Amino acid sequence: MIRSLRPWLTRLYPRAWRIRYEEEFTALLEQCLNSPLDVLDILLGAVDAHLLLLSGESLNWRVMNMLNKIRTAVLIVFAAYIGFIIAGFSLVGLADDSPMAALMKTDPALSAVWKTIAAGALVALLAVVIGGLPLAITVIRRALSDSHHGLGLLLVPVLAFLALVLYAAFVLAAGLGRIHIPGVFQAVQPGAFPPGNRLLMAGLMATFVLGAIASTLAVWKVVSRTDIEQETFRAIKLSMTVKIYNFAFWPAVATTLAMFVMLVATLTWGSLAFSSLPGVFTGNFGPWGTSTQVWFTSVILVMTLSTVVAFLGLMRGRSRQKLT
Amino acid sequence: MEFTDFGHFSDPSLLILASLAGGNKHGYAMMDDIQAMTGVRLGAGTLYGAITRLEQAGLIESLPVDERRRPYRLTAQGAALLHQTLSNLEKFAGLGLKRLAAV
Repeated sequence: MIRSLRPWLTRLYPRAWRIRYEEEFTALLEQCLNSPLDVLDILLGAVDAHLLLLSGESLNWRVMNMLNKIRTAVLIVFAAYIGFIIAGFSLVGLADDSPMAALMKTDPALSAVWKTIAAGALVALLAVVIGGLPLAITVIRRALSDSHHGLGLLLVPVLAFLALVLYAAFVLAAGLGRIHIPGVFQAVQPGAFPPGNRLLMAGLMATFVLGAIASTLAVWKVVSRTDIEQETFRAIKLSMTVKIYNFAFWPAVATTLAMFVMLVATLTWGSLAFSSLPGVFTGNFGPWGTSTQVWFTSVILVMTLSTVVAFLGLMRGRSRQKLT
Repeated sequence: MEFTDFGHFSDPSLLILASLAGGNKHGYAMMDDIQAMTGVRLGAGTLYGAITRLEQAGLIESLPVDERRRPYRLTAQGAALLHQTLSNLEKFAGLGLKRLAAV
């Protein structure tokens, strides 16, 4: 009974402490965890370890804690970026096949702002790919070699993507009339979306959003278990050692800045578009005949929240350079 | 030499230093050795609380892991501090015993 508590007791210690001592401490507990007094002693030891970390008494710990802060900062920015992507796709859904799309072809200012949003999206995507590549390779390597559980978590984004592709194919087949679903019509007029079609598209959106959330949580979990500061990459005759979390920090800054630029550009785009077409803003020109006003406000809210969260994540990791 | 404050773990720290003065040991071996020396059985939480502080203070240092167990050894600084502390205790014990003899 008491011996089964071993993994839980070890987890009570700070992560920075566990990085350094967990293996040997666990080996010790396998031999000497026998009584409730032993459990109490470990509980007190865990409290002391947290207090020691808080006091900043231990420099090495602080360095390890800073590395954890960078990792958490990078993960927060990644999660915020996924939130921003969801809002971005929703914005594209709002602009596509609406009077705003036609207006953008004739209004140079509106077109320029839209291109700014697209450029921001490209910069953010490149930053995430560049910053995340060494981390992704490291995590996959570790998952393949050390932990089948980690490998299972990495399958979540793949399965989420497959589910989205299958659902999209189903929607497309329904739209083309290959599959007949009662209440779903092939040809619909803007602003008059049948409830069946709306439900079908809402399902697609839900598959996308839930898949994105599940994938983000799975990636977060598997990355937070990867207690590796640096990794060596070899290609042909080249060998390079990368501090994976430090390397990802500046791309995370670039992603956050790109998100801020896109947020400002989206607000500007909405202001320009809806001042030219006020009827569109008050009408139902959102995806699947939903309220434009509600849809656009939701997009702005999610973008703002994502940008603020990403900024706060960066603030959390900002002091790392002093110690690493 | 400046006195190093080990907080709540001052006694276990001294016991660990004394144990490592007899040779390099991993955690479980230290527990056994300390129990044999003093009759005190340190808990795992107490032991590692003290090991953490001693290592950070540079008084002990870790050696490569051997089958998941990591041995530790006394550093020169740790040996000097142990020597000074035990000498102080010896003087204190001598003084106390002299006073007791006069009672």
